[in-house]
Amino acid sequence: MALAVEAEQLVKKFTGRAGTVEAVNGVDLQVAGGEMFGFLGPNGAGKSTTVRMLTTLTTITSGRARVAGVDVQRDADGVRNKIGVALQEAGLDPRQTGRELLVLQAKLFGLSTAAAAERAQELLELVDLVDAADRRIKGYSGGMKRRLDLASALVHRPDVLFLDEPTTGLDPASRLVVWDEVRRINGQGTTVFLTTQYLEEADQLCSRLAIIDGGLIVREGTPDELKADLRERRGLAADPTLDDVFLDATGRVREVVEGQVQEVR
Amino acid sequence: MTQFVTLSGRAIRAALRTPEALLPTVFIPLFFLVVNVGQAARIFPATGTPFLEGQNYAAFQLPSALLLASSFGGAAQFMVEDIEGGYFDKLRASPVSRTAIVLGQLIAEGVKSLGIALLIVLMALPFGIDIASGLLGLLLLLLLSGGWAVVFSGYMQLIALKTRSAAATQSGSLIFFPLLFLTPNFVPRDMLTRPMEVAATFNPVTYIMEGLRSLVLDDLNWTRIGRGFLVVAIFGALMVFLNVRTIRNYD
Repeated sequence: MALAVEAEQLVKKFTGRAGTVEAVNGVDLQVAGGEMFGFLGPNGAGKSTTVRMLTTLTTITSGRARVAGVDVQRDADGVRNKIGVALQEAGLDPRQTGRELLVLQAKLFGLSTAAAAERAQELLELVDLVDAADRRIKGYSGGMKRRLDLASALVHRPDVLFLDEPTTGLDPASRLVVWDEVRRINGQGTTVFLTTQYLEEADQLCSRLAIIDGGLIVREGTPDELKADLRERRGLAADPTLDDVFLDATGRVREVVEGQVQEVR
Repeated sequence: MTQFVTLSGRAIRAALRTPEALLPTVFIPLFFLVVNVGQAARIFPATGTPFLEGQNYAAFQLPSALLLASSFGGAAQFMVEDIEGGYFDKLRASPVSRTAIVLGQLIAEGVKSLGIALLIVLMALPFGIDIASGLLGLLLLLLLSGGWAVVFSGYMQLIALKTRSAAATQSGSLIFFPLLFLTPNFVPRDMLTRPMEVAATFNPVTYIMEGLRSLVLDDLNWTRIGRGFLVVAIFGALMVFLNVRTIRNYD
């Protein structure tokens, strides 16, 4: 199957008064079309910066990236036409209603007014926001905002959907709703590139994972492959969890310090 | 073009839904108009003050009020909110022309300012102010005020894009006061002291003020009107260019 995301030696350096920070230090990635790919890493590991480079939001210092077959540096607008993006901070305009936001987004992708209105209605039904459609977004709950953000990333039926920590800050019920939506979108053939800090989320949703730490990919494979690899390397009797894989990959250890209390170092 | 109209519509809708931001834009310039006229009207009576062209001093001060109103745009604050709230990234991740992002906000600001200028002129008419250049002159007066709103909002939006900070953007607006007061604000340029006259001559806002003033006090004086529009065109193009370049290089 054709690759939906391809990165070769992707590097991002930020230069400021305090000097140069290398946020991403040579990332290689390959995500197949139709895949649900999980991108994990501790805070500051380079997850969001990588996503921002792949989605044309941040310039690439060096290396090469192609998304949906289009070169990110040479044809940024070509990439933008083929991707949907829902970032960590739900990108919504609080002064508009949910419907207005979706219609506007659809028009920006070239839909006519009538087609944009129709697509907005479809999406509102899809994310179960019909009742709130004509209310200002500033009155929406966190879960509603996330669902609307997801809907706005889908107006143009993207080939690749980038979700940067889509469930951060949501209550468990809202999180399950978002998971269902993401599964359904992926089931329709859309490639999903998901970053998350919740390992359970990655385990539940993703067919393949990569773990980034210090700006480099330190593990890559299916959840089962990563667990089996750890079990073999450590000679563990029981199956490790994805938490164990993550801690091992990022050089952290979990210790029982007192009774059942665990500490990560 | 569709993108530009769509984004302008959004910006106008946002402004109308924030009336608390619009009200000071009307009342503060009116307040300054009343105060300035109250302080100097007796020094410059309608009869015996040649530069008033037979009108009262409020007519001479009206352009200052219009310039002040046009400098109270909300585009930059909306831009900071979009940046902080993540909506700006959503726009940047869409195949939207960067010029449409900039112009959508700025033209909306110009249209808003045009409406506010009309309101201020209408409120000033009962106080004996006459637009001597007629209906065409009124239209040009509104367009020149709206044009200045585009220029100044462009400058403010540039600060918003560079600093991404509401506080820094707010501080940037303070430059308007030296720009306004280093003009022939209270008397014509030839009556200023020499240092003030030099400063006013180098200040581009002077030519917009003189253009506006000629529309209120004279028949159509195309030299003065032309200079005002030329300043708006040059600085407007510069602001759009700098804003678009900043968005293209935004990281």
